[in-house]
Amino acid sequence: MDFLNSILVKPFADMAGAPDFLLQVLWEGLVAGVLYALIALGFVLIYKSSRIFNFAQGIMVVFAALTLVGLHEKGVPALLAVPLTLLVMFILAVVIERVVLRPLVNQPDMILFMATIGITLFLVGFGEIIFGGENKVMITEQLYIPTGSIEFEPFGGFVSIEQKDVTAVVGAILLVAGLILFLNRSKMGRAIRALGDDHQAALSVGISLSTIWVLVWFIAGVIALVTGIVWGARAGVSFALEVIAFKALPVLMLGGLESVLGAIVGGLAIGILEKLFEIYWGQPLLGGNTETWFAFVFALIVLLFRPQGLFGERIIERV
Amino acid sequence: MKTLMRKSALLPAVFALAAALGASPALAEDAVNVTNLSYRTGPFAATGTPLMNGQRDYMLMLNERDGGVNGVKLVYDECETGYNTEKGAECYEKTKGSSIVTQPWSTGITLQVLPKSNVDKIPILAPGYGFSPMSDGKVFQWAFNPPASYWDGASMILKNISEGNLDSLKGKKIVLLHLDAPYGKEPIPLLQAYAEKYGFTLLPIPVGVKEMQNQSAQWLQIRRERPDFVLMWGWGAMNVGAVTEAAKTKFPMDKFVGIWWSGHDGDMKSVGEAGKGYRSISWSLPHSESSVMQDIKKYVLDAKKAEIGEGEFDWVFYQRGVLISMFTVEGIKAAQAHFNTKVVSAEQLRWGLENLKLDEAALKAIGMDGMIAPFSTACNNHAGHAGGWMLQWDGAKFVKVSDHITADAEMIDPLVQTEAKKYAEANAPWPINEECKM
Repeated sequence: MDFLNSILVKPFADMAGAPDFLLQVLWEGLVAGVLYALIALGFVLIYKSSRIFNFAQGIMVVFAALTLVGLHEKGVPALLAVPLTLLVMFILAVVIERVVLRPLVNQPDMILFMATIGITLFLVGFGEIIFGGENKVMITEQLYIPTGSIEFEPFGGFVSIEQKDVTAVVGAILLVAGLILFLNRSKMGRAIRALGDDHQAALSVGISLSTIWVLVWFIAGVIALVTGIVWGARAGVSFALEVIAFKALPVLMLGGLESVLGAIVGGLAIGILEKLFEIYWGQPLLGGNTETWFAFVFALIVLLFRPQGLFGERIIERV
Repeated sequence: MKTLMRKSALLPAVFALAAALGASPALAEDAVNVTNLSYRTGPFAATGTPLMNGQRDYMLMLNERDGGVNGVKLVYDECETGYNTEKGAECYEKTKGSSIVTQPWSTGITLQVLPKSNVDKIPILAPGYGFSPMSDGKVFQWAFNPPASYWDGASMILKNISEGNLDSLKGKKIVLLHLDAPYGKEPIPLLQAYAEKYGFTLLPIPVGVKEMQNQSAQWLQIRRERPDFVLMWGWGAMNVGAVTEAAKTKFPMDKFVGIWWSGHDGDMKSVGEAGKGYRSISWSLPHSESSVMQDIKKYVLDAKKAEIGEGEFDWVFYQRGVLISMFTVEGIKAAQAHFNTKVVSAEQLRWGLENLKLDEAALKAIGMDGMIAPFSTACNNHAGHAGGWMLQWDGAKFVKVSDHITADAEMIDPLVQTEAKKYAEANAPWPINEECKM
């Protein structure tokens, strides 16, 4: 009975008993969710247009953030360092397309996936040679990102919201909105979607595979830079940022590899639910650190009922 | 910026190639290989890199200044593990034929190679880390964790936060915020023993590797639990993440204390003023004006033999890396003298590491007085139990804020013996050197 009480009653009583704390938990979950969605978007875009699961997305976040901070360390003003970093990410996209992807056109998906592991290993070594392995400070203030906190006292309690988290959420929303507009309204965006739907058909109507691949890898680079700035502002810029890419995997399982909407909804759902579960069930009953597995278990349960994910396309194969 | 560092890292490869080609038989004879299972890449690179730099630069300096150790060149080599246990085990297998010492650089890798040390007869040197019961040299004949074990560190922290009166902890709540890895879990048995004896509540809160940079859940729990102190066994980005969250939740920094691997200038610089007041126990003290550091500056840095990051020379971790290499070098010297030989073997180095005598005079002679407390090792004491000091972040650097603190042997020794015995039984047949014959 006590056990059932601790699972079914106490967590909700705790939520009702300290609504300010619940608000704080929900806010932290929302921020985490937005950031997960951002990482997942990088994967989705590349997969959608090329059927490549980009293992290098995590290291691209590190590389973009280190380039930005590194350029600033060399004396480049912060606001100039941003376009220069974007230029570096564009060059990286061109090099990846020319050197890695183009020679592997028509190879099985697994070969392309393995190639992205190669890109990861290269960028780890290359990044270490150029920037070193030390932790660097994100140029938050130089980028005019506010760093204070907003505090208020709802229900007689206390809630603190970091201004940089608010900036992250707003920035992510704008980025996603821009991306959706681009994919749906622009010619290039429609070309990306066409390539995702049917390679052969898209090529037959004159869509250039190499141009689109450069474009999506560049957009993934832009997302990587935004992700790097946001996460780097929280805990510094180092190779440790690479591991946050793994947080996107359950989001992709949940939302589907090809759905922009899935990445957003999946990211938000996992961010909020894993935080609620950790605070009200994980820590009191399981000793904590449930965030390492909760998202995967949750995604697995969803997959039992929807194997293609929440928003993925159902694959129908005639035999 | 760090490109010269890589150039110096190529030196061992050049030595090895020259030896392989037979270009210099004398070089091959008069050199010892000291491989480091390092990690300059991956999520923990930020904390590993300055330590490895310090280790490498001390050996480079000795090679430049003295021609090595008593005429024997030190071939400092690295095998990159990325702090990954599987890669560490691979590195061990790859280097065990050439290196006279194994420096695993992670508690997980130490635990992997520990059973192999009895068979391969290569000493494991894990300064200030690894499995705490390794200090019992009768059971762990090939493993060394000088100058202090994690349990020493936990004991020293408790002594400091209770201002020497452990009874004052009665009724208090202490959180252990730890990396969810063998390293982070290491102090739990001792802290539990303390909690039972002195009547405080211990609440371990694990942080997964993927959660290191977003510890909001852990710090929400801390906010809810309202502990009197938070102790941290953090590593890499976890340290920055934790101090950032502590500042965000307005947890009093002077109630937040880390083990020596959670006191890294590079991490704290990311936090800056917000981390002011944060403390970390340390078995080493940075002393940039010491003669050894000045020699490193003269023979290595000024000579452009290696390049380190801006300000890194003064960092706690860089200078701790220097001390860590010193343990190996002093072990080699002791073995050379005892066995009356120049090029020592792994087995001879084991004897050297078991007979380190680093008193005030010895530390002064090697230019390291003031950087570490004097200590010695013996057959039944592979940790040395040198003690240490509490350091505090002043917003720009770590400063010493306590007198010398020693660990509480009465609490630690019985647990060391029990856990060492348990390990030996679980890994039977395990050789035990009861009479200290070796």
